[in-house]
Amino acid sequence: MALDEHAIPSFPTHQEVAKDILERYQTVDQRYWRWISVLALLFVAGIVGFVLRLNEGFGEESRSNWGYLVATLSFLLSTFLAMPILSAGLRLAKANWRRPFTRINENMAITGLLVYLMLIPALLALPATEGRLSVWFDFPHWMAFKGGNLMVWGTLVLIGLSLLLLVAAPDMAAVRDHMPNSRRGKIARIMAAGWVGSTRQWRVLHSGALLFGAFYLLLYPTVQTLMQADFQAGLLPGIKDAIAPATAVINALQGAVALTLVTMYIMRRFGGYERYFGIDQFWSLAKPLLAFSLLWFYFWWASFITFWYGRQPGESELLKLLILDSYRNPLMISFFLNFIGPLVALIWNPVRKSIWGPTLVAAGILVGGLINHIRWYVSAFSVEDPGQHVLSPIPAGQLPTASDALIVVGGISGCILLFMLISKLIPVISIWEVGEGLRLVKVRKFLGRYAIVIAKSH
Amino acid sequence: MATQTQPQSATDRSEAFRWSMVIDLDRCTGCEACVVACQSENNVPINLQSAYDQGRVLEWIRLERYWEGDFPNIKARFIPVLCQHCDNAPCEPVCPVYATYHNNEGLNVQVYNRCVGTRYCGNNCPYHARSFNYWEPVWPEELRHQLNPDVTVRTRGVMEKCSMCVQRIRRATRSKTPAQIPDGAFDPACVQACPTSAMTFGNSNNPESRVSKLREDERRFRVFESLGTDPNVVYLKQVDTNGA
Amino acid sequence: MYYRRTLTEAQINQQLLGTVLTTPLWWIIILSGLGIIVAGAVSAVGFMVNQGLGVTGLRQPVFWGFFITNFIFWVGISHAGVMISAILRLSQAEWRRPMVRAAETMTVFSLMASLVMPLIHAGRPWRIFYWVFPYDWARGIWPDVRSPLVWDPIAITTYLLSSTLFVYTALIPDLAIIRDRSTGWRKPVYGALALGWHGNPRQWKLQGLAGILLSALILPVFVSVHSIVSWDFGVSLVPSWHVTVFAPYFVIGAVHSGVSAVVTLMIIMRKLYKLENFIWEEHIDALARLLIVVASAWMFLFWLDLIFALWLKEEQEMTVWHLRMFEPPWSWLFFVFFMASFVIPVPLWLFRRVRRSFTWMLWTSLLVNVGMFLERFLIIVPALMRKGPMTFDYATYRPSPIEFTIIGGTIALVASFLLVFSKFFPLIPLWEEKEGQILIDSVRVGNVDVPGLVKE
Repeated sequence: MALDEHAIPSFPTHQEVAKDILERYQTVDQRYWRWISVLALLFVAGIVGFVLRLNEGFGEESRSNWGYLVATLSFLLSTFLAMPILSAGLRLAKANWRRPFTRINENMAITGLLVYLMLIPALLALPATEGRLSVWFDFPHWMAFKGGNLMVWGTLVLIGLSLLLLVAAPDMAAVRDHMPNSRRGKIARIMAAGWVGSTRQWRVLHSGALLFGAFYLLLYPTVQTLMQADFQAGLLPGIKDAIAPATAVINALQGAVALTLVTMYIMRRFGGYERYFGIDQFWSLAKPLLAFSLLWFYFWWASFITFWYGRQPGESELLKLLILDSYRNPLMISFFLNFIGPLVALIWNPVRKSIWGPTLVAAGILVGGLINHIRWYVSAFSVEDPGQHVLSPIPAGQLPTASDALIVVGGISGCILLFMLISKLIPVISIWEVGEGLRLVKVRKFLGRYAIVIAKSH
Repeated sequence: MATQTQPQSATDRSEAFRWSMVIDLDRCTGCEACVVACQSENNVPINLQSAYDQGRVLEWIRLERYWEGDFPNIKARFIPVLCQHCDNAPCEPVCPVYATYHNNEGLNVQVYNRCVGTRYCGNNCPYHARSFNYWEPVWPEELRHQLNPDVTVRTRGVMEKCSMCVQRIRRATRSKTPAQIPDGAFDPACVQACPTSAMTFGNSNNPESRVSKLREDERRFRVFESLGTDPNVVYLKQVDTNGA
Repeated sequence: MYYRRTLTEAQINQQLLGTVLTTPLWWIIILSGLGIIVAGAVSAVGFMVNQGLGVTGLRQPVFWGFFITNFIFWVGISHAGVMISAILRLSQAEWRRPMVRAAETMTVFSLMASLVMPLIHAGRPWRIFYWVFPYDWARGIWPDVRSPLVWDPIAITTYLLSSTLFVYTALIPDLAIIRDRSTGWRKPVYGALALGWHGNPRQWKLQGLAGILLSALILPVFVSVHSIVSWDFGVSLVPSWHVTVFAPYFVIGAVHSGVSAVVTLMIIMRKLYKLENFIWEEHIDALARLLIVVASAWMFLFWLDLIFALWLKEEQEMTVWHLRMFEPPWSWLFFVFFMASFVIPVPLWLFRRVRRSFTWMLWTSLLVNVGMFLERFLIIVPALMRKGPMTFDYATYRPSPIEFTIIGGTIALVASFLLVFSKFFPLIPLWEEKEGQILIDSVRVGNVDVPGLVKE
């Protein structure tokens, strides 16, 4: 129903929206560059932290130094790189409310470049597969797990970028036509690849978006499986946690929704994008956010109850490490931020149907997610002997050093930086998606009220 | 249970019993006297050929026989397997009706008249120690007089397993403290029948008992130790003369 | 396009109430046939209770066999109802309308069938009441809540009660329609059931609210029921059962199995009740697309199960999987299961022509359920056959004719419940269909009128 029941809902035309987005695209905002410099500084600080850690080497003794880098890598995979899933999935589900923020999701694919770079030292920090468990079936050669990982992750990043380039084409054509002589306009001409908006081109675009989206959807769980198998399960003696990759995927979906909400909020507040990111977007995303928060608990519990019930020695030690002893505090924090908090907050209609409610919950989820990833990977990297049968001794919780903190901050800043830079090139609101959505709606009177009609073009 | 003089607190272990068994595989000849003795003592149903064909043999203790080596150096290995009375028994938490639980003497007890026969305990026992009454047990008229009156006769649909002859334990320890019962004063039927004295039974809370001493033997091992079930039955490894 | 065809209200009433107001001959014949099968199964159960479980194929160490497979299978089928009525209602998918009631009633009846199984598979079914009724019956002992077998009935009865409530609340407007059209003894009965429904705005508002609330509240139940059932296996020590992924794996498998069962049910209903005006290609097309997504998620979880089963290279896990995949006849069953649940249907469903063909969808959906039954069987029995390293105890399980009869009996039971239900209540909700028609509109884009819906 129209959300303000007494007002007549009105929509701008798609031409108005295109004009507005292009105007915002063209203007140069000093605040933007100020933020870019801050983020760039933080990113450089992250590199400094990384170099400090690098001095300590990659050997067996220094493996525990790399836990925080790997945790950051996983966190970025599960938030920034999970955004294209939202775009692809919601497009598949034909949800109309996704249109304003779908480009945010797609633009995030650029962060794959930084994440891929971070993968390299993470892989080097892993011990060889001899003597420990891995999915690579005893192939000792570095080609197996290092090469395999690089290939699969690389494919994911490539598909994300291809999806972005494809769906950006009509908008780049709009930029090309709007400001043909500027530097960005010249780049846009190349990126638009001769887009004129013919029927055939639209058909290719739509099927390509669906296809690349589907590939991304299929490949992402594979990448998470490798991440969990190689960086966590392969280092923890005696762990057999088949659900861990699925847990990682669900947590990633929660993270993606949360990051979308936070990004929209920041763009509303500091970018003046209120008319695009309205209550409809926040409300509609709050429902999956609640669902994924409940699923966060469900997947965690499925793993916990299986390990805890049988009181088997190997599993009891792992529980002590991950849940009951060493990393109990991170778990409690994450439990609250990723499950209890969202549940208690988002159950209430007024909280869900607001701008601040889902955003606050989402911010908590992102913090909790980072802590959770730290719990998973720092613990795994602090195990002395991955080849044991039963974990002994149980390493204590490892707090971050200054370099670790710099790496975490640098990684996150680097991704935000990349997103902001790409959004200067590719319009951060999808002109054609929003325009398409506007052409498919109309307002009419219905049972004494005004309601919106949405055409189903499929 | 109400007549016991043992302290109620399980933490006061020095006063309580902790029943344990040690089986020396070096002495075991695989004669199955223990199996027969157990059957007569505990009213275990008679296993006809059809029971073996159907795979529904009811045996509270059974001999497992494995062949090792190639001809002509084949060896037969025997291991008598009975309920291990695990301190961390996997069969206990899964019973919906509390028909099996751990008592404060270290025994895993089976309460027949509570059992409804869901058989989850049987699935969860890694030692296959539990048997299920698929049919109503029938004894020929002549044999009914040899049923042990101290032991329930189970009906169809009920799980059963070794109880370490709890009826003998009760009979021997009723109204007595551990100090009043010398080591070896009584034994379960299997231990009593074993011709080579391969099996030893006793109170492992008593440091002077044979069981306590044999448990620390250098040949000791427990079956499936890595599962963490913490069995109360300890085995002593067989030593081959040619060092195997 | 499901937005184009419109029927008048009178036509909707007349066509959907046809089964309630008349009794066709085929209904009597089919019901009698099913009744005979059910009677046979009931006698088989009686025989089994009288003689003991020896009449089944169960043996040391395979303590659970066909009956538990069937139990899991029916709980699985029951997940269709919530998927279709609750989730599709909350996501406002229009194409759910003809299926909601049939799916929900199938849920209720399959839950009843599933509850029968743990009762009869127990050694002493007449004592089962002590099992989970939360009262100590003067014995001083309550059910052991540590046992997954106590969580099961709690979860399933909760699901059963909430699904029944769901069916009932959604039935109320239709019950009023029947009340207004019946005479004699039926009128007061339907009148009482209709709870005084007169279709005024207040009642409709409450109806909508009830639907949304029930849909939202039943979702946690939906997820937890099959997870709890999966923990019967997950918390045990049996190799290849002690797997963390079982909970979501079973739930997704249940949705896969259940939605396929709904497809089967819809197509059969359409044929028998002549519901061509209500069940269209678009509906099974949409269901098939949903199934592709669900089946793919299921396949991902299956691979996780397999990869991590072999992960620790534990000898016993490898033995069990070797039995499942490479030793006949289990390997043949595995092959059939894998082909039937995924490899044959899902690629076929990628083709629009297959998705929109009633014949293709009927056979593929039946195939899926054959495969999923085998999947449950292959999870349970081979694991028990190779439970531990004590090879001296290795054995084979072969189901007996009694077990086959009883399984067949549960299928006949659910089918006959559905048939009897259709005699008294319309299988397609009249009010949902009418609501769907009211919401149809179109938007002019360029020079084309694109069909659309009024958005709530």
